[in-house]
Amino acid sequence: MELSRKPSKAKLVASGVIPFAFLILMIAYIFGPGSDLLDFGVPLPEITIEKVDFVDSEILATVRNTGPIPVEIVMADVNDRIQPAAIEPDRFLERFESAVVRIPFKWNVAEPYTIGLTIEDGTRFEREIEAAAPALEPSLELAGFFAIIGTYVGIIPVMIGLLWLPFIKKISKNKYHFFLALTAGLLLFLGIDSVEEALNVYEENLSQSFNGVLLVATVIVITFLGLYYTAEKLIKRAASSRITKPVAVALMIAIGIGLHNFGEGLAIGAAVGIGSIAFSTFLIVGFALHNTTEGIAIAAPMAREKTMIGKALIGKLAVLGMIAGAPAIFGAWVGGFVYSPFATVVFLSIGAGAIFQVIITVLRWIREEGDKNLSSAAVASGIAVGMLIMYLTSILV
Amino acid sequence: MIISMSVIIAASTLYFVFSEGIDAQLEEKVFVTHTGAIVKTTGEIIDPLYVASTMEFDPMKYLREFNYGRVSQLPDGTTLREFTIIAEDDKVMEISPGVFFNVWTFNGTVPGPTIRVTEGDFVRIKFINNGSREHTMHFHGIHPAEMDGVFEPVGPGGQFTYEWFADPVGVHPYHCHIMPLEEHIARGLYGVYIVDPKEGRPIADEMIMVLNGFDTDFDTENNFYAANTIPFYYQHHPIQINTNELIRVYVVNMLEFDPINNLHLHGNLYYYYPTGTDTVPSTYTDMITLSQTERGIMEFEYKYPGKYLFHAHKVEFSEKGWIGIFIVKDNPDQKSQTEIEYGT
Repeated sequence: MELSRKPSKAKLVASGVIPFAFLILMIAYIFGPGSDLLDFGVPLPEITIEKVDFVDSEILATVRNTGPIPVEIVMADVNDRIQPAAIEPDRFLERFESAVVRIPFKWNVAEPYTIGLTIEDGTRFEREIEAAAPALEPSLELAGFFAIIGTYVGIIPVMIGLLWLPFIKKISKNKYHFFLALTAGLLLFLGIDSVEEALNVYEENLSQSFNGVLLVATVIVITFLGLYYTAEKLIKRAASSRITKPVAVALMIAIGIGLHNFGEGLAIGAAVGIGSIAFSTFLIVGFALHNTTEGIAIAAPMAREKTMIGKALIGKLAVLGMIAGAPAIFGAWVGGFVYSPFATVVFLSIGAGAIFQVIITVLRWIREEGDKNLSSAAVASGIAVGMLIMYLTSILV
Repeated sequence: MIISMSVIIAASTLYFVFSEGIDAQLEEKVFVTHTGAIVKTTGEIIDPLYVASTMEFDPMKYLREFNYGRVSQLPDGTTLREFTIIAEDDKVMEISPGVFFNVWTFNGTVPGPTIRVTEGDFVRIKFINNGSREHTMHFHGIHPAEMDGVFEPVGPGGQFTYEWFADPVGVHPYHCHIMPLEEHIARGLYGVYIVDPKEGRPIADEMIMVLNGFDTDFDTENNFYAANTIPFYYQHHPIQINTNELIRVYVVNMLEFDPINNLHLHGNLYYYYPTGTDTVPSTYTDMITLSQTERGIMEFEYKYPGKYLFHAHKVEFSEKGWIGIFIVKDNPDQKSQTEIEYGT
């Protein structure tokens, strides 16, 4: 038995590897000598200026070769006027390679600038900056500033939202289903919001070659599946462990919202960092109102938590609130100090995937609670009202 | 299999993550750029001053190079000047350090050779088209209709002989006149044609400046501007002249896309002869504005030695390359300015 199994295993491995071998052979052949046959058409060079930083008497442009062929950066300009510049590490960019162009320039705060780069065939690529603002230098003061913004935008509103818990606890089953559905509606809005934001960041900063829409879709699906699997495990284990099912669901919601708020924090930090928004109190109020609803989303499942009372419950709620809100602070730090458009797209997509997974969790819970019924008036109106509330508060942002 | 693959992946990951670290020990070098700004970098400088160039076109040579043709006498004693001009449209020229552009050329350069004759000479230009499309030579000036280079397109491999008596005195452009005209001119098919008066002009240090530009990304806006093709060239390689010596500049504006161009001289004024057709200057100024193919002669002398800029006072153009410097040195021999030089 053992003897006869071994060769069959080898056969199995071989049959799995052989197609790969042929694939490698084909690629080697295509790239090998005599490959000119396949060179149809004219490959157009392309570079993308992914980031522009304004530092002391200097403008730094981060450029990436996003085209199909190597390029050489030969000239820089500011507002379409040729400027001498330095390029680090060097001016030759292979595919996907990036470099930093340093342009000595006395720029003025809050004025618009167009940064242009010309490659060896004379093609010029540019990027517009709405308003120049000094690049943020990581400092304790600034980190504190971001922490305060993150607290206002993330933690405090979520905590306030959690205060609805006693109210939700006391209402009838039907009304409770309405609140669960409301949560699903709120989350659905946040999920769509994250996708939109991710696509916006991609459109504004990254080149076509990243296949932005598919990047977002892929990350969402992977996150969704990963969390779906984890959540199932968590809820199954909930029965036998210290955490109850309502807590498990609330935790999943908190994690999903936390990932979303990380993305929101990134966006805020980056916006402050590149000076595209003036951070007004009005804007903070808008975000705060908007995010208060996130607290309700966590409070709703916790309302069915019957084993915990008093300090233990408050402690749990506080932890859940922190999980959901605190990432806004980390997001603001990352976004403000080490902004990367690519990472932002990925994080926002992760947030969206997490939220879509949480929606499924919530809906399944409603279904189990509500006699296998998802089409009740409470559920339908809950989702609709959730979307509406989010839309109306989003206008303030 | 899996182990070896993971080793390869790990190694390549390390390379990508630390590839920048490999160059980390590079020294910072200090550069003074063409605007005077100082840059410290471990990388490279991209500035016309520092980018190594293999430019085959030499603006300094072009500046004072006049072609008088193969000279002979017709039976009636008239001077015959014969030129051969070859058009090509497949040349890729370095038009600014590091920028390679497909230019269309007369005799291999942009601008084409400066053709210089004397009023009344019989001019014969043998034109050969070695390009891949139709081209002609259209000279400004007085000549028979069939010598106008408009209705007689010369196909690839074709030839045409243009003949006329040189008239009138002045500085004129010549250029290709095939449609689309803007493209045929902007790509580089132009040059300068000077007709000297029979009695000649006062002896002077003479030079040609063709004001031109290139639209390298085809958006009908020029990316580069210059006097004599190469942006910033005379800023890095100043033109040497002497004090108290008459300087005569033949200026021809061949710029496309932009409706005007101009020339401002520092620390001095010039006598301006529009189109060079009159012996009396029309104005004494330091700034004239030129439209397409508008041209003239500027005459001036510097009193004081030193460095003087000349540039487009449409400053956008000067910031994109149309700027230069005269270095004025004390005149070694203060000879009389009254001698008269005739065309050779």
